[in-house]
Amino acid sequence: MSVLETVLIFVGVPAAVVAVVAGLVYGGSRRGRRYRPGRPFEFTPVWFLSSQAQPSGVGYPAGDDRRAVTGAAERAALPAGEEGPEPAAAAPHGATGGASDRW
Amino acid sequence: MTAGELERPATGQVSHGSVTGHPEVLDGPFTTRQLLRLDEALRLADRSTGLTFSVYVGELDEPVRAHAEKLHGQLADPDRSVLLAVSPNQRLLEIVTGAETRKRLPDRDAKLAALSMAAAFGGGDLAGGIVTGIAQLADHAGRR
Repeated sequence: MSVLETVLIFVGVPAAVVAVVAGLVYGGSRRGRRYRPGRPFEFTPVWFLSSQAQPSGVGYPAGDDRRAVTGAAERAALPAGEEGPEPAAAAPHGATGGASDRW
Repeated sequence: MTAGELERPATGQVSHGSVTGHPEVLDGPFTTRQLLRLDEALRLADRSTGLTFSVYVGELDEPVRAHAEKLHGQLADPDRSVLLAVSPNQRLLEIVTGAETRKRLPDRDAKLAALSMAAAFGGGDLAGGIVTGIAQLADHAGRR
């Protein structure tokens, strides 16, 4: 066995195996971001409603807020200085229930 | 986009897109598969209970409870809505039920759902915890 063959077998083959394993480890997961409690987790805040109101699964355009935030929009539309009726959100505010927890 | 700019919830994940064709929601904490599961859970819960379930995942300002209630108040019909607000970095979770919802979903049941959600979150499973929570809340709220 020549020197070249020896080097290829005893250095080249292990190096190739290491390269394959390293490639699988670092290239395998498309998203490296995974939530682990206690570690900082960077993401864009999201807010979901169900899409049941959308017929045949077609999404509304992003600007269409027929299901969302009508109360706030109506309040904003009131002329300045005019108090109008008490904001709709104020009434249920004291009556909200629910629960809190931490982990 | 920051929490402050998040003025309204996305109605369905696909609609929350930008002109570039890359939906902003994909920069959120969930994979596409998890988003589909979440969407399914929300749709089932809404349909079976007649209430509106909504999920917010992001930072909550102090005082946390007030911020969650403010978000809840921004929904179309707060009285008949349930908001699950989850802040993974602050490691806290708020469930807000409206006046009408509260009759069907007592705080005790909400707390029970919160406990199981927190257990899943503690294991690092955000999507699973939320799906479990929604299913449990819908179950307790009963049929419409």
